[in-house]
Amino acid sequence: MNRLLLIAGSRWTRLVLVALGLLGLQTTVANELRPFGIMLPLMLLFVVAAGSVYGSEVGAIAGLVIGAMYDCVLTTPLGLASLVIGLSGYGAGLLPYFVREPTWWSRVLAVVVMSAIGEIMFPVIQGIIGFDGWLQSRVFTIAIVAALFNGALALLFVPLARWTLHEAART
Amino acid sequence: MPVLSINRRRAIVLLALTSVIFLTLDLQGSSATSAVRSVFGVVFRPIESVARVVTRPISNSWYGVTHYDDVSSENRLLREKIAQQEGAAVAAAASVRLSQELLALNGLPTLAGINSVTAQVIGDSPSNYSQSVEINQGSESGIRVGMPVLNAAGLVGRITRVFTDRAVVMLISDPEYALSVKVVAAPESTISSILPSEDFGTKVTTTVLITETTEAKPIVTSTIPGFTPGTTSIPTTPSGITSLTVPSNDELAVRETGILEGQGPSRAPTVRFISADQRFGEIKAGAPIVSAGGSMSLAPPDIVIGVVSRVVARLGTAGPVLEIKLVADLSNLSFLRILLYQPITERSSP
Repeated sequence: MNRLLLIAGSRWTRLVLVALGLLGLQTTVANELRPFGIMLPLMLLFVVAAGSVYGSEVGAIAGLVIGAMYDCVLTTPLGLASLVIGLSGYGAGLLPYFVREPTWWSRVLAVVVMSAIGEIMFPVIQGIIGFDGWLQSRVFTIAIVAALFNGALALLFVPLARWTLHEAART
Repeated sequence: MPVLSINRRRAIVLLALTSVIFLTLDLQGSSATSAVRSVFGVVFRPIESVARVVTRPISNSWYGVTHYDDVSSENRLLREKIAQQEGAAVAAAASVRLSQELLALNGLPTLAGINSVTAQVIGDSPSNYSQSVEINQGSESGIRVGMPVLNAAGLVGRITRVFTDRAVVMLISDPEYALSVKVVAAPESTISSILPSEDFGTKVTTTVLITETTEAKPIVTSTIPGFTPGTTSIPTTPSGITSLTVPSNDELAVRETGILEGQGPSRAPTVRFISADQRFGEIKAGAPIVSAGGSMSLAPPDIVIGVVSRVVARLGTAGPVLEIKLVADLSNLSFLRILLYQPITERSSP
């Protein structure tokens, strides 16, 4: 019983629950509101925010979990979003190796950069596994718009990621 | 501290392996991945419904702010178009019905002989790198993978994934979409006119073929404005005498076939593998594109797809590449019709 409670209270359980809510927003409001015709990648945003706060390992695992959930609602091959978002989370987690004491704006910067890279990685990896045709000049528009909006939304998502993945003090 | 600690290496290896296994299974068409998606869909559907209800005011406000003027002007334009087309539609429907009856009479395949299911679009793909929509009908309604999907204007795409009560439609604009199509010649205008016949007191239709194509200015044989029927034959002989009219080869629509491929949302679909030496001469902008049909085709013949918007000539024997303006507006899909026609190539799929 204690073990069950421990699992229920763990940060990974919290991550799955928060990710379900985010996925709900991603498939509804974010999918409909497309500024400049571009869908804002909230799932990617959350993962890179998590990576920038908790480092590469947490970023990569959060990316794997959230990407796998995202994959289930996409029509692209299962595992593609998982791989891309996981790599983006890992990349965002490298921030502490470049900045000794990350500030809020350096985290936002990391989110902006990794959001753009993540959006470009999607069609690149899609092409590598045989689904080519998506690597067009539009990709850069998508990357820029997604990165800028994610940068603004990072102010909300960094605290959300911090709360979701904080480790409870062991008694 | 090293950049890659043991734990981090493990995490990366785990991530990469799991994703690659998922990808491999899915690309091999494993039923396990479909099952995973189905189960996740069952869990996630209620959450999505709640999110949709909660966020609807936000979406509505956004649309109100950003699209109000567009919607107003579009509404005005649509009212005008409806008024213009109302009469023509009635006559066109009669003409289409007559055509289908004739095709059926001759044992030729027609769309009228194929049952269909109407479905509503319930969502787009939540991705910037996928061109698909989700509809609210699935295997319960007889929908199977591969079936062609149309809206009121023409071909929209095909079914790529089917669940019990929903299905995913890959749109024509998706780079993965390909379909054999035919370009119907439109260089020669057929002009019909009704002349009074002195001999029998009936009206006789004569057909004049003009060789130079100009902007089509229809000479109408119908009293309904805007409607130009095709060549019509009215018996010129008195009753009791039968006549057989066999059109010459020149009057038959000549076709060229090719493969239509989607190019993503920002580019027009193209048709490739058109012969360099077209039988009906040079293909010009405005030529209609319809599905080619055939036993191996993904769609029955003669579904309207679009018109040629640009012809890109290529050197040598490669033949031109045609850019297509689709008749269906893929950015504004609401109700779709799924033809219960499953291509032979997709029969083994669930």
